Amino acid sequence: MSNPLVEFKRVAKRFGDFVAVKSMDLSIDPGEFIAIMGPSGCGKTTTLRMLAGLDKPTEGSIYIDGQLMNDVRPHERDTPLVWQSLALFPFLNVRENVEFGLKMRNQDAAVRREKAMDWLDRLGVAEFAGRNVETLSGGQRQRVALARSLVTEPRLLLLDEPLSALDAHLVIRMQSVLTKLQRELGITFVYVTHSQSEAFAMADRVVIMSDGEVAQTAVPRDIYREPANRFVAEFVGRNNIVSGKVSAIEARRVSVESAMGQFSVIADEGRIPAAGADITFVIAADLVEISRTPGDAENTVACSLISEEFIGSVVTLFLETADGDELKVQLQERELVTLDHTSGGTFFLSWQSASAHMLPQ
Amino acid sequence: MSSTKAPARKGFNGYAATWRFPIIIWQALFFLGPLIFMVAMSFFLVKNYRMEEAFEFKNWQKMLTRGYFWDSYFLTLALATVSTIVTSVLAFPAAFALAFKVSPTVRRWALFLLIIPFFTSYLVRVFSWYVILAESGVVNALLAHIGLGPYTMLNTKFGTIVGYMTLTLPLVVVLQTFALANIDRNLVQAAHNLGCTPWRAVYRVIMPLAKTGLVVAALFCFILSFGDFVSPYYLGGSKPPTLPILIIDTTKSGQQWPRAAVVAVVMMVTLISIAFAALALAYRKRASR
Repeated sequence: MSNPLVEFKRVAKRFGDFVAVKSMDLSIDPGEFIAIMGPSGCGKTTTLRMLAGLDKPTEGSIYIDGQLMNDVRPHERDTPLVWQSLALFPFLNVRENVEFGLKMRNQDAAVRREKAMDWLDRLGVAEFAGRNVETLSGGQRQRVALARSLVTEPRLLLLDEPLSALDAHLVIRMQSVLTKLQRELGITFVYVTHSQSEAFAMADRVVIMSDGEVAQTAVPRDIYREPANRFVAEFVGRNNIVSGKVSAIEARRVSVESAMGQFSVIADEGRIPAAGADITFVIAADLVEISRTPGDAENTVACSLISEEFIGSVVTLFLETADGDELKVQLQERELVTLDHTSGGTFFLSWQSASAHMLPQ
Repeated sequence: MSSTKAPARKGFNGYAATWRFPIIIWQALFFLGPLIFMVAMSFFLVKNYRMEEAFEFKNWQKMLTRGYFWDSYFLTLALATVSTIVTSVLAFPAAFALAFKVSPTVRRWALFLLIIPFFTSYLVRVFSWYVILAESGVVNALLAHIGLGPYTMLNTKFGTIVGYMTLTLPLVVVLQTFALANIDRNLVQAAHNLGCTPWRAVYRVIMPLAKTGLVVAALFCFILSFGDFVSPYYLGGSKPPTLPILIIDTTKSGQQWPRAAVVAVVMMVTLISIAFAALALAYRKRASR
């Protein structure tokens, strides 16, 4: 077990009355690809800026490589940041932009040039070395910004929504460029984003933030399948959230009485609720079956269709129970054909008890 | 068949023309016309204290072959250059503080205070320096306390520069503040993030980013100093004369308006060349190879 590269210990950041980050604990291992995700204003960018020293924590301590960083000024650290706006210098050409960090470390001109060209070459933009940065396309500038940050060979690279300005197809390509780079270099990436697909596609672990606090830290699969709380369940993926009261317990099988009907949930060992307790569980929309006939599955709800959202191969159907509770189902587009979903009428949603994930109370 | 509307006539756009028209008229009437007249006048002759239309190079010959004209020319150039450099350098820390180190409210008030000097005539402000710079004035009285002086400051080149700065310093601070306040702060932070110390960032990042505004401020300072009559006359003692004083002297001595026009044309050509060079520098983009 190696020592963590980055450690946040009860870190808080306030700007006047505004609390950007409340008591944050986080530990990042060397070589990890960490994505920090959350809605805007959740404190994710402030967290990143504190790592770069651009904002100073109001409380708590930040350690990088075991060293307390609270009072280390930005220019004294080697924590390059890839900016959302890219922040390339318009008065320098592409190569000079990449050389900047080396120049500030007073490296020899010949060495600077060589390293800058190596990195531009590695990122496939060497041919633009002499160009004005303003003449480059978004994707090319992105690569230049990456080269500029990596040229000093840092152990930690910070990325602030670097792909948010790119076209969708370029985002996919840059994601593979980034993951490949991170694997090859073996350095730690801390990647701030509001995009679930970016975070899940690239990160080893995802940190979900809400209102200045860490809501959950886990591998993408666990964030998706086993949200730690209601916020994560609502923010990530397409989840159906059902609340009710425990009516009976039989080993790990918990029966729940809710407004939508009687359901059963399999509780984790050691987290079995008491009878009569309030309980909330989550069923991911892609684990819900939809059918025209009631069948004999145990967790079944009758609904009518309200709307659908088509995004290529996957379709999300929004349905409503007789009482007006909304439920979502995600299925493959080709599965729609047998459903005859445009003709109205009643649909029956069902799921296996094991698919439901109980939220801790 | 339905009739389609005729496409708008190309080549005439009433809206655009309406906006363009006044500036063209204005420039023709108040700039181009007088300029042409002045250039023409430089070829006129003066006989018996009366100006006569002519096309002779005598005035040009007379002025450009005289040593005192060139002494005056280079003196004016040197004084304006020194004024531009000293003013820009002195203004920069003030503008920097206003742009980066104070709250927007303080900045607004400070900019307002910098405009107040323009409420009073420049001539009055120049006269007020007499009290301060005279041999029995405030500065020398203070220096006497520490056993220095008295120094002669009035009727010297130092006095001229002080006068120029009375005119230009507040303006240059205002222009530099605008230039600095408008730069993208992210770029400055990006420089710190890449290991650039705050001191180094001033020269490496902030000045290049604000270059256009800083150069335009310096250009204004140069133009105002180069063409100023008041300071070199009242604080500089008018000897040796700068070009604006030379113009006045020439018109007074024997109604030599055509020779004064020669001086004026030379000044115009000089200022236009310098303005072009400065603007080319200000707006120069990195060449893309």
